Amino acid sequence: MRIWLEMSIFAMALLLQPLSHAADKGGNQAGEPYDEDTYGPQAPTVWVKPVKSVIFEHRVHTMDAGLDCGSCHDDLFEMSSGAAAEKDDFTMAAIYKGKYCGSCHDGSTVYNANTRCTTCHIGVRGHQRLERAQAEKGRAK
Amino acid sequence: MNDKDVQRREALGTDRRQEISLLERRALLKLGFAITGVFLGGSVLSLVSERRADAAGAPAIGGYPYNPHYTMVIRERHCIDCELCKEACVKTNGVPAYGYRTTILEKRRALEEGKFETTFMPVLCNHCNKPPCVRVCPTTATWKDKTTGIVGIYRPSLCIGCKTCMTACPYNARYFNEERRTIDKCDFCFASRLSKGEKTTACAAACPADVRVFGNLADPGDRVYRLLHAPETMIWVLRPETGAVPNVFYVNT
Amino acid sequence: MNTHLAGIFPRTGGLEARRSTTLTLTLAFLALLAVAGIVAGIHSLVVGHEHTFGVSRGVPWGILIATYVFFVVISTGLCIVSSIGHVFGFKEFMPIAKRAVFLSIVNISAGFLVIAFEIESSWRMVVGNVVGANLTSNIWWMGTLYGFYLVLMVVEFVMLQRGRHGLASACGLAVLLTGIAANSNLGAVFGLLNGQWFWQGPYMPIYFVTSAATSGAVAIIFYTVLAYKVNGWQMSEAMKQSLHSIAKLAVLMLAIIVFFTFWRTVAGVTGSAPGRHEALLSLLNGPYRFNFWAGEVLLGLVLPLALLLVTRGRNVNVLFVATIIAMVGMFFMRYDLVILGQLVPPYHGMGLVDYPEFYTYSPTLHEQLVVVGGAAFCGLFFLLGERFFRGHLVDSH
Ligand code: HEC
Ligand code: HEC
Ligand code: HEC
Repeated sequence: MRIWLEMSIFAMALLLQPLSHAADKGGNQAGEPYDEDTYGPQAPTVWVKPVKSVIFEHRVHTMDAGLDCGSCHDDLFEMSSGAAAEKDDFTMAAIYKGKYCGSCHDGSTVYNANTRCTTCHIGVRGHQRLERAQAEKGRAK
Repeated sequence: MNDKDVQRREALGTDRRQEISLLERRALLKLGFAITGVFLGGSVLSLVSERRADAAGAPAIGGYPYNPHYTMVIRERHCIDCELCKEACVKTNGVPAYGYRTTILEKRRALEEGKFETTFMPVLCNHCNKPPCVRVCPTTATWKDKTTGIVGIYRPSLCIGCKTCMTACPYNARYFNEERRTIDKCDFCFASRLSKGEKTTACAAACPADVRVFGNLADPGDRVYRLLHAPETMIWVLRPETGAVPNVFYVNT
Repeated sequence: MNTHLAGIFPRTGGLEARRSTTLTLTLAFLALLAVAGIVAGIHSLVVGHEHTFGVSRGVPWGILIATYVFFVVISTGLCIVSSIGHVFGFKEFMPIAKRAVFLSIVNISAGFLVIAFEIESSWRMVVGNVVGANLTSNIWWMGTLYGFYLVLMVVEFVMLQRGRHGLASACGLAVLLTGIAANSNLGAVFGLLNGQWFWQGPYMPIYFVTSAATSGAVAIIFYTVLAYKVNGWQMSEAMKQSLHSIAKLAVLMLAIIVFFTFWRTVAGVTGSAPGRHEALLSLLNGPYRFNFWAGEVLLGLVLPLALLLVTRGRNVNVLFVATIIAMVGMFFMRYDLVILGQLVPPYHGMGLVDYPEFYTYSPTLHEQLVVVGGAAFCGLFFLLGERFFRGHLVDSH
């Protein structure tokens, strides 16, 4: 009796395996795999200037929130990682005035950039954790 | 607060929770704390972890034994862990790589649907009114200054390195500096800045998000005073249960 | 000078120590270990604990503090058992009195030797304790009182050697009081730290004094039997009777420690002062469960108690085994007490990320060498003491 139970649990685990795999690839909960051509680069952009460290993920914006490339490119951002950080006005003051992320994170389109600071700001600790995770992934491969 | 109190409070409903029962008021006054506008009863407690819940620690007008009564107010939810404060502290005070005088911790609170919210929590010496570290020092190498209230290692040449103060500190604010052969800790930048006429600490000056506010709690015109006595502010301190009466306050504004 | 010394070192009478190459080699080996420990200790002071010791910001007190506690608690205990005889006049405790006083000196010296390397600038203590005396500091009281204790103890020993029994027992009373005050202050060093909930509590000084009496009874049996075995001496009836009485004391004290350990555990598991609970769980069922169940409970309490009770404390060989086991167990008790008290981080339970819920500590080679050095120092002077003081015999007056 017991052995059957264990075996069925094992079988279920096997069945669920591909699902968890999909999540690992960066797909959403429904199991849809993340496609970089449709949704933009999978690897998050992390800025360390002017302050450490702010994260931007295409997945949250394109795949999850359903935005198309045009809502950001190339009015607000260039399609090149780190370009914005070269500009002098890549600051909260500009964001509060509706530039960059602030054109949506203004409190009416989506939540205001003057709240929930840590959603974008992963900080030195978050950045280190990200790098650690990437290093581990690299080693696993 | 006993069970009855809890029951009565629950019967009152959430909107009246801000009123503090007479019983509590009396209990707190006994502890030496007057009730101020900043004290919001139960809601203050909701921000500290449940097991550390304790009302002690809210500052009371007129209850500041020092002048200047140096205090730091941490506007915690603005902290983005850019760690410019840590860098400034290291540079200003010559802190070695293996030590720190201030650091940033990271809290996580579960939200719905498996999401979570991060809060960065700067920590430093709390310059307690009843500093446990000072009591245990066998050679009086460290003390709390009679005018400023700053807890410092004022006679490092007497520090024998027994490290009792390290075990006594409820905040892990002390470390042993091998090069100087003495315990080292935050002194609110007294040696490096305040004594040279600067008005604030290196970390507060470096903070781009205005998280760390340093000042004199005994001066009603000072920003720390205003922050701690503004209405509808939640104020909490770390580890109030140790009875150390800390002077670093965390606020939600 | 020579005549003074002659009064202290007996030339004749007593027991002649065995002189064999094995014994000489043992002495040399112990001396070597002691020197190795001292060299490791000095090296760690010069280079800094950061690079040589396992201690850290979170766990500033390591195995050396535990070893110090181990030694000074034994020393205080030896002082207690010696005073039962030669201060309070209980005949049955007379035969071991001199040995106990001498070993008390040796043990506290070993303790000081070890802690001198854990205190990173220990040499500053000489001036600091006087210039900066802090009367609210338990560490200050403990250090100062143990300093006096050592001096008084030496005076007492000299008086005993010269047969000045009146003076010796007056001195003995003073030493006893100083020792107990010092020992309870050592307990208070831990017990009065608010926020270190595993330690915190007024029972700590009492526990320390109780532990001292236990350690003293156990240690004097161990050392006495060892001395007789090593030197091939025949034990007198009076000495056997004395050991039997001390064994009874040991049983009583061990039982009290059982009681204490039991209730501390129950109180820690049911009540939940933050920190004390977690530390106790790690003892009962966590990383320290081996230390607790095998070290503290089995070796420290159950086995010695069983052995002593079964043989009613009369069989010398069993006494010897029981006390060796108990000494090892006691070391575990001191170690767990000192280390575990620091392992729960100050901000545990706040939902912090990348923050240890439990610190870890393990001693490094440097620390182990110092510990072994301290023990070797103790063994060396114990053997030398037996030789030069001719079995520490007490003349029946
Ligand atoms: C919500 C705004 C937003 C949307 C929508 C968006 N992007 Fe981006 N994208 C950015 C930002 C911000 C950067 C980083 C720019 C910088 O660092 O200056 C970026 C950078 C890029 C880069 C360069 C990054 C790299 O790693 O080299 C590519 C390629 C890119 N986006 C493609 C896309 C595509 C394809 C889409 C549509 C599927 C898209 N983006 C939609 C904001 C957006
Ligand atoms: C074109 C509009 C737009 C722009 C520009 C934009 N975002 Fe967003 N962002 C969104 C939307 C829509 C969401 C989804 C909000 C939600 O789920 O409630 C979102 C969500 C997020 C989230 C996830 C918040 C959470 O709940 O965890 C982060 C982080 C974020 N954005 C960062 C950024 C950053 C950093 C930038 C600038 C580099 C930026 N966004 C620019 C529209 C935008
Ligand atoms: C929608 C995302 C987002 C949110 C929310 C956000 N920031 Fe930023 N922040 C950025 C970006 C993007 C930058 C520029 C990149 C960098 O500095 O790495 C930035 C830069 C900064 C800087 C350095 C530049 C400057 O303006 O001085 C500070 C300080 C800062 N943020 C503070 C905050 C605080 C405080 C909050 C919360 C009240 C907050 N931010 C919320 C995205 C955000």
